[in-house]
Amino acid sequence: MRDTLTSLRYRYWPDHLLGEILSKRWTETAIPVILLLIVGFALSRSIDHFLSPASLADTARQAGEIGFIGLGMALVVIVGGIDLSVGSIFALTDFCALYLLDVLNWPVPAVVVATLACGALLGAVNGILIGYLRLRAFITTLITLIIYRSAFDLLIQRYSNSIAAAFPDIPSWNFIGGGDVFGIPSVALVYIAIAIFGHIFMTRLRPGWHITAIGGSRRSAYNSGIPVRRTIALCYVASGALTSIAALFFAARLGTVGGDIGVGLEVIVLTATVLGGITLGGGKGSVAKSLVGVLIVLLITNGLTTLNARGGINRMALAGILLVAAMVDIRWQKNRTRIISKVYVAPTYHALPPPATEIGQGGPFEQNDKLRDVELIGLGRIEAPEDVILDRNNNLYAGSRHGDIMRFFAPDYQRMEVFAHIGGQPLGMAFDRQDNLYVCIGGMGLYRITPDGTVEKATDETNRSMHSVNDDSRLRLADDLDITDDGLIFFSEATVRYEMDEWPIDGLEARGNGRIICYDTKTGATHTALRGLKFPNGICVASDGQSILFAETFGCSIKRLWFAGPKKGQVEVVMDNLPGYPDNINLASDGNYWLALVGMRSPSLDLAWKMPGFRRRMAKRVPVDEWLFPNINTGCVVKFNEQGKILESFWDLRGENHPMITSMREHRGYLYLGGIMNNRIGRYKLDNADPNFVQYDKRWGKAS
Amino acid sequence: MIAAVREFANRFLGRGEATITVPSFDGALKPNQKLEAATTLLECEAPEDLATDGRNLYVADGRRLLRLDGSAATELRSFEQPISALCALVDGGIAVALGGREVRLYANPSSGEPSLTFSDVAFNAINALTLAGDGTLIATDGSATCGVDDWARDLMELNRSGRVFRLDPKTRSVKPLASKLGYAFGACVRGDGVLVSESWRHRLVLVADGRAPQIVLGRLPVYPSRLSKATGGGYWLTAFTARTQLIEFVLREPAYRRRMMAEIDPAYWVAPRLRSGFSFKEPMQGAHIKTMGVIKPWAPPRSYGLVIRLGEDGKPLYSLHSRVDGVNHGVVAALELGSDLILIAKGPGRVLKLPLAGLAEETGS
Repeated sequence: MRDTLTSLRYRYWPDHLLGEILSKRWTETAIPVILLLIVGFALSRSIDHFLSPASLADTARQAGEIGFIGLGMALVVIVGGIDLSVGSIFALTDFCALYLLDVLNWPVPAVVVATLACGALLGAVNGILIGYLRLRAFITTLITLIIYRSAFDLLIQRYSNSIAAAFPDIPSWNFIGGGDVFGIPSVALVYIAIAIFGHIFMTRLRPGWHITAIGGSRRSAYNSGIPVRRTIALCYVASGALTSIAALFFAARLGTVGGDIGVGLEVIVLTATVLGGITLGGGKGSVAKSLVGVLIVLLITNGLTTLNARGGINRMALAGILLVAAMVDIRWQKNRTRIISKVYVAPTYHALPPPATEIGQGGPFEQNDKLRDVELIGLGRIEAPEDVILDRNNNLYAGSRHGDIMRFFAPDYQRMEVFAHIGGQPLGMAFDRQDNLYVCIGGMGLYRITPDGTVEKATDETNRSMHSVNDDSRLRLADDLDITDDGLIFFSEATVRYEMDEWPIDGLEARGNGRIICYDTKTGATHTALRGLKFPNGICVASDGQSILFAETFGCSIKRLWFAGPKKGQVEVVMDNLPGYPDNINLASDGNYWLALVGMRSPSLDLAWKMPGFRRRMAKRVPVDEWLFPNINTGCVVKFNEQGKILESFWDLRGENHPMITSMREHRGYLYLGGIMNNRIGRYKLDNADPNFVQYDKRWGKAS
Repeated sequence: MIAAVREFANRFLGRGEATITVPSFDGALKPNQKLEAATTLLECEAPEDLATDGRNLYVADGRRLLRLDGSAATELRSFEQPISALCALVDGGIAVALGGREVRLYANPSSGEPSLTFSDVAFNAINALTLAGDGTLIATDGSATCGVDDWARDLMELNRSGRVFRLDPKTRSVKPLASKLGYAFGACVRGDGVLVSESWRHRLVLVADGRAPQIVLGRLPVYPSRLSKATGGGYWLTAFTARTQLIEFVLREPAYRRRMMAEIDPAYWVAPRLRSGFSFKEPMQGAHIKTMGVIKPWAPPRSYGLVIRLGEDGKPLYSLHSRVDGVNHGVVAALELGSDLILIAKGPGRVLKLPLAGLAEETGS
């Protein structure tokens, strides 16, 4: 009863998605967006006409103006600084625009250009001081805040009356101030244009990447040749220029130079920036985050004003929000990877009945020590030969954890050379009709090695599945393969959620994270044939030529997938509830199949697989070295027939001579054994085996 | 209420009582492989305890009582039940505990009828006997519910029902000295009190009449067992198995423990054992994977061999180990005989001998 509930709970509640979503970079934008929606919803419920077009247009106007300053601030914060002088620059450039227009009567285009230049110049002062003279951003901009503000105060004493007296009625100026296109205010249009450019700039253009790089690590950026000082200086120039754009629209809209213009603006913009999720430490942020932050702040301040909150309360609320946002930001940045690693591992319910073949009571799994005296090849000279294969000249090929394919020469296999260097851990191997060696490389994909040792990539990606949060188009753990008569290569990818060295975590999860992928050697196309498999591993084309047999290691089963014929696309269980964990499958000379059981099931892990909560807590509290593991120290080789009946088994019980078996290959009367944790290859003389059997020669109908 | 909230928070966050940290083998407990170098005197079915009167060495092997001369064993007698504890008496006699429920005293090891039998109803798992100075016998009883060989269940049930008794042959009376101990296993007289191994609490306590047990040596990375006196002051403390984080974790997982005890053969429990690596059905932990043909000695021990030499004050001086890749695991008894240390490694069923000369210098810290 309880097991049924547990199984239902884990079947229908996707625990694994939480970690996958959190590890996406867009979650950091999603959280402010959610906050924005909540604030917007709350305010629209408590204030009438909050979402009316007029109200929205008004909000958009203000949002545009603050938005420009927000963009500048975002740029400066991303590069690792801060700009407190934006409020004063805003006031000065506002004055500049109105002075030029009202007192000097310059034409509007000239006013625009001059104001922008003025803003850039004011920003450049910051830029030179901080970028080139390397003053602290905080103190420098605090000083320029005071200086600019004092200059503004002095200037308005002289000119405020003449500015206030003028009422310019120029259509283009009025359009800047209050015009709209299809109801969208002019300021919002310009903002949208600049925001789109800003997004492309930050994400797709070299200078944008430089800015992010400098913010992330100034020293590394310098060491990689980025002009750090110039880039920083230019960011402050851009901040000044963007502020002057905001001032232009403000000037055109209101036309005043009151004494309190831009006072406290830096706090509003800073709150917006931090609230949007742009980290104060630098190196992280986007245009979207800046926009979201500005909208939240604006909605809150406007909402509070409409609700008749007093100015003090308004500011206090903003300051409070800034404090909370900065705190959340710091804690999140510090603990992000830890939180993700804690929630990413999501074990699921996996029930296997006790193995039907009780070991030690007769039957085909009866233990023996036939493999105790296997001959050892390359002892101490090869490391991690997951799979072994032999060519028709009896040379032996095996992968090594150094990323090489090693070749041992017949007849005594004493001489060894590096046949090809690939760089990733070679796993399953198969020869095609032209004697090319296809190899699955953990972490890299499917590779082809020509007979002269040239390495070529066959495929390293497949179609991305629609309903997967993680991008599963790249191959993470290609494991074993076989080639059909039509040149289709079916290979297994053990897991899409973890890297190769993290296979124990996938075993802990026991979810169907793996898939079978098909690569067409004729067209070069790759597609996913089957997904949701529990660590699919060995693959072998069956004798009928229309189906493949594949092993699900943690599913403890062998299944058959038809790729041709009347049952095309169907999956059928050949053997299930095996007493061990199946690995590679290969043809035997008598038409049956060899299967490596890499390890045997233990009752304690079988029970743990039925208790996902237990495993989740274990993953969190117990170090990996102490986790309950599948027992892969003892394994065996079994032979099974087309009907899924075990015919015989070969053991090395204490694992003294050949501890682990992940693969086996029959060749001219011998069985060659590979093991991914071994420093040796085993060779066992088979009784009654065809002394001329060469697997891929028989396969391709060649005489050997 | 506050305690309940705190316990819940601890469980949720994995701290406080819910932490699963295990002290490391450090200082005087720094690992070596000394026990692997010991000479095997005897291999037998089920060695359980050792006793000596200074000249003869007695070994309890299942139901049989043996005398060991060099590596030649002579069967002195055999009982209807397995011997669970052994102790040589001052006058050449011997005391044996049978099946944990009965203590018999014999005038000499081969005499027919016992001179005295204690069979108190409270006896359940008497696992060690030792002589007190006043002619009385001290017996430790591990558990009130689980039998002598069922100690793993006692650990998994989190029982704290170990007791210490004083058996007085003169008055033929049994007097409890201490109770509610976390598996009392092994005792040795010290001053007017008795040093007792409290296995499940990983410590040595000093038990005396009318006083609460007093911790002498705590926070051991192992489960301590029988004690014996060392020449020149101090004690030999054996540890029958070591702690691991996985077992500490399982001890805090009631649901898993309950199902494990109900559904799985005890041999394959996630619990400490006296020997390991004999079946692939045993639980395996991450570091146990044989890599390049080697099992790492630092892997978490399912079974372990350890004897600690304690000083007069009960603090460790040096220790002798058999690590995860070794064989001589499950050391349950150790005593000095002449210039040798005699040990029982219950895991492989061996009586071992290790010359004492030079041990302290080689392994001391």
